[in-house]
Amino acid sequence: MTFLTIIFRDLWRRPIRTALTMLGIAIGIAAVIALVGMASGYEKGIVKQLDVIGIDVIVSNMEGGLMPKAFEESIRNQIATLPDAAEVTTVLMQMLSVEDAPMIMVSGREWGGFTWEKLTVIEGRLPLDASERAVVLGTMAAEMLRKKVGDTVQIETEEFSVVGIVDGHSLVENGAIILALPLFQSASGYEGRVNFIDIRVPSDADGDRIEALCNKIEGSFPGLRAVRASEVVGTSQGFKIAKAMSWSTSILAIIVGVFGVMNTMLMTVFERTHEIGILLALGWKKRMIVGLILAEAAVMGVLGGIIGVLLGAATLAVLGTLPEVRGLLEPDLSQGLIFKAILIAVGVGIASGLYPAWRGSRLSPSVALQG
Amino acid sequence: MPLPPIPPPSPVIFQATGLKKEFDDGRVAALQGVDFAISAGEFVALVGPSGSGKTTLLNMLGLLDAPSSGALVYRGEAMTGLPDPARYRAREVGFIFQSFHLLGTFTVIENVQIPMFGQGLSAKLRAARAAELLDSVGLSHRLHHLPVKLSGGERQRAAIARSLANRPGVLLADEPTGNLDSQNAAQVMELLARLQREHQTTLVLVTHDREVASHASRLLTMRDGKIISDSKAA
Repeated sequence: MTFLTIIFRDLWRRPIRTALTMLGIAIGIAAVIALVGMASGYEKGIVKQLDVIGIDVIVSNMEGGLMPKAFEESIRNQIATLPDAAEVTTVLMQMLSVEDAPMIMVSGREWGGFTWEKLTVIEGRLPLDASERAVVLGTMAAEMLRKKVGDTVQIETEEFSVVGIVDGHSLVENGAIILALPLFQSASGYEGRVNFIDIRVPSDADGDRIEALCNKIEGSFPGLRAVRASEVVGTSQGFKIAKAMSWSTSILAIIVGVFGVMNTMLMTVFERTHEIGILLALGWKKRMIVGLILAEAAVMGVLGGIIGVLLGAATLAVLGTLPEVRGLLEPDLSQGLIFKAILIAVGVGIASGLYPAWRGSRLSPSVALQG
Repeated sequence: MPLPPIPPPSPVIFQATGLKKEFDDGRVAALQGVDFAISAGEFVALVGPSGSGKTTLLNMLGLLDAPSSGALVYRGEAMTGLPDPARYRAREVGFIFQSFHLLGTFTVIENVQIPMFGQGLSAKLRAARAAELLDSVGLSHRLHHLPVKLSGGERQRAAIARSLANRPGVLLADEPTGNLDSQNAAQVMELLARLQREHQTTLVLVTHDREVASHASRLLTMRDGKIISDSKAA
């Protein structure tokens, strides 16, 4: 018999209570996995999109939620004159409800800009010019909208022909409706305005030169933010808000878990007062009693954490199929997130066991023996 | 012809002076100034009516409780100042209780191993020693039974084996036959007396029962928190 035998025997004494407590932790951890996994999936989708298109610097407004606020399109030409701004193109991107899709990305792109380059036509063709009232659909967008080449799609109050289905090589691109910028500006009421300027720098531009370009843009156009594509996710206010919301919701769920375990462990200590008295009378040190109670709480944390990861992964899988989510993000369950979640679960277990362990160790052996 | 050397007196294990214990802010005086000395290897029975302070005194000898005043010395050291009471309870004394106090979710052999935790023994050694102790009390056929499956006498024998887990020099037994029928009580007392003789253990036993007390070499009779007589058994 080892110390571990004692821990598991004690937990097994009331299997239903132990299982329910672990479920409490599991739900908290599942919330972490699901919410943070969604936020992280969204981030990864954007990063992949930027990487595929080959954007080096993104200029956007500091304000706004997930989509930055629109600004004057004319700024584009001023930026294009700056050294190291080798290629410059503008984008107006909005999340809209389009026909059956409750939320879909619509991307109006400057005609001839490099953001059209990486679109591989699967079916049909690209629009002929900026004036053709036509859109192309990413593969997933076509599936979500149930559209094929030749159909029409209504964006806000205007109707467009679907002339092609494209593979954009990233989830965000494949989940988008893509059309020429002026058409979307007119349809969405953003005439003369965009919310992104995408920049490519010369291939020999090093980090310092890119940094200098960003500083120059921010200095010249107050209110605008120029960041390297690799840093856009980390600095975006929208992402920060999404991340903060997902963590804060998760923390609430975890706090509920903490009180659940604490309640169970306190009940365990009260119920086992007599047994603790016996252990003390038999020469167990107070720190061994503390260790036993904390270890039991930690084991419940680990097991609850594992169940929570499985529950969270299942939740993510289900969420990934929802129409509101498909095409926008691919839920992300990374090893790092699993490790963090298990670590949190163990932390929850130990933190919840601290007070009960302290109570248990404070018992007087002679009084506890009568308990 | 030189005289044979005089054997040295047995060293004193416990020395109590003016021992008092009060409960409820002094409203209840469980011990009212108790003085005694117990030597190594003695078998002492503490007898007296309920509420006379026997168990309170035994708890103090086992460091389960502390005196309100007075001095209690173990092998020349004040017990109130012992740096590690848990070590004392684990290594120096073994407890035997009236209600056995075996842990219900552990088998007999596991119960005997419980006091060995924290003593630096491997799991294998703990199990081997527990099996050996259970064999010595005649329970080798019950190693893997839960306490609930044992008779009262068997439970107390398992508890006796547990009390010997760390080979203590002192056994403290509180009404060890209180929950047993006369036949089992006699067997348990024979076992305790045999183990005490074989291991030269100091045994302090609390009992109401004159028959049980008759196994002891010395009787300390208590009443109202005081020792009223100290006599050698017949």
